[in-house]
Amino acid sequence: MAYIRFEKINKFFGSNHVLKDIDLDVEKGQLVTLLGPSGCGKSTLLRCLAGLEQVTDGHIYLDGQEITDVVPRRRGIGMVFQQYSLFPNMSVRDNVAYGLKLKKLPKAEISQKVEQMLEIVGLSEKISQYPAQLSGGQQQRVALARAMVTAPKVLLLDEPLSAIDALLRKNLQIEIRRIQQQLGITTIFVTHDQDEAMVMSDMIHLFHDGRIEQSGTPEEIYTRPATKFAATFIGNYNLPSAADFNRVFHADIPGQDVAVRPEIITLSREAPKAEEGLLVAEGRIPSHISHGNLIRFAVEFDGGLTMNADVVYENKLDFGEGDRVFASLKKDLVIGL
Amino acid sequence: MRKGSRVSSNIIMTLVIVWLLIPLLATIIYSLFEDWTGIIPHGFTLANYQKIFTDTAFLTSMYQTLIVCVIPIVITILVVLLGLFVVTVYFPRLEKYMQILCMIPYTIQGVILSVSILILYAKGSTILSGRMTMLIGAYCIIILPHIYNGIRNGMRAVNMNMLLEAAEMLGESKLKAFFKVIVPNILTGITVSSLLAVGLLFGDYVIIRNLSSSNVNNMQKFLYQAMKRSSAEASAVFVVIMLITFAITAIVLTLQSRSTLEKIRNEGK
Repeated sequence: MAYIRFEKINKFFGSNHVLKDIDLDVEKGQLVTLLGPSGCGKSTLLRCLAGLEQVTDGHIYLDGQEITDVVPRRRGIGMVFQQYSLFPNMSVRDNVAYGLKLKKLPKAEISQKVEQMLEIVGLSEKISQYPAQLSGGQQQRVALARAMVTAPKVLLLDEPLSAIDALLRKNLQIEIRRIQQQLGITTIFVTHDQDEAMVMSDMIHLFHDGRIEQSGTPEEIYTRPATKFAATFIGNYNLPSAADFNRVFHADIPGQDVAVRPEIITLSREAPKAEEGLLVAEGRIPSHISHGNLIRFAVEFDGGLTMNADVVYENKLDFGEGDRVFASLKKDLVIGL
Repeated sequence: MRKGSRVSSNIIMTLVIVWLLIPLLATIIYSLFEDWTGIIPHGFTLANYQKIFTDTAFLTSMYQTLIVCVIPIVITILVVLLGLFVVTVYFPRLEKYMQILCMIPYTIQGVILSVSILILYAKGSTILSGRMTMLIGAYCIIILPHIYNGIRNGMRAVNMNMLLEAAEMLGESKLKAFFKVIVPNILTGITVSSLLAVGLLFGDYVIIRNLSSSNVNNMQKFLYQAMKRSSAEASAVFVVIMLITFAITAIVLTLQSRSTLEKIRNEGK
């Protein structure tokens, strides 16, 4: 049996069916991300595992024991919340020591563990300060230390970085991943940010409307989206209808729609040499957007089909608006949906 | 022009302040002199103060005022805290009804309240018919809206449900977490509303006169009796009551400004 198992989980809020027959396994030591737009049920599933919400139907197992009806404080699970949830009346030391004191550990041991954990999150010098004296990023790191110091069986992170500014957020993503790997703690991370999920996860479960749309490693999810929703949510896929795409590129991709990543399209002024499995079509560039490191050109083909193509920006724009270009891409990278 | 209007507004302000302070100053002066029949009082004396502070009836009235203030405040704080805990955590939909219930006493006059309580309970022979029980019960009702508002506002300032969930995930029970994590954070609010309640109960005459037996005397009742004996002594009693009220107000204002400063500091971070 997997370390954490969700079995046929259903959850209703009134008549609202929030989780629909969720089956999910998490292996020990992994960092698993529940990814999806707001309202898709990912946070609710996390709260069900924490015991802060009761499942309407189904079973949850942790480390071989059923915990479906166990109260939160007896589950041995640590959690970091979206908003800063430090106790404002307690210093950093007391916040981190809170869970250890409840376990009635000897004072010396508590003190040693608190100091050790604060060193891991890089906040040793803030030990005597109060939450109001810390920045948002520091507060979340203290919250992380507080959740991890009790050595929980599982660590749950409910969008802990969403209130933090972009640069700090990127650093914290890497830091959380590093600490998680250093301590080997099984972690479930909830986010609506696909980049965050890509950077941090061993496994991603993509949620949509109370169901798991697709599960896989970040690479699998990114390169092989299984549904149109997955392709829409992950990356910046072009999603033309299969009929339009096949007509323009003289191809025979099966399915309703096709998914094409913008970075697999190569643009050139001259027609590329014909080769097996290379799809080519001529189009016109109506506009482009700069993303700093890359330029996203829109390419309009005959019959109104428009797709985006990414070109790494070196030091000059390769194409201008109105230019005619050849767009080529490998057929085996095109995904029929 | 602007300078002129500032001067005139200052003059008006000063006049208003003097107008309001004259009765207080006159009372203080009156209590400190033997005779004030002409323009200038003469015969400075502390005899009136000496008299009331050596009068056991006055000291008893101070002590009893303290008792009938503190017990209702402690009871009301506990009831409101537990009520708000249960409502916020388990029955959030009932919160608006609790608010309405707690606001009702604002609309009840002291006379109506005390007479109603007498009609309802005085004839029975249960513990509710005891004079002290009725008085404390009536005081609990009078101060309920103030205590409720103070505690509720404090709770709104902290994200109570999330802090409780965080404590629960660390292995704490909800009720213990409430007293260890939430209550310390709303302590200023509780203190301020309790002091306001002390001020309110301190000034009560109507309810205690109607409900208490003759052996329970608060300072207002003592003041009333002192007025019958000697106006100079009554002035001294009034000055003592006024000083105590000033002290309470000063503490409330200091605490409030401290919590405002804290808030500004926290938001600035």
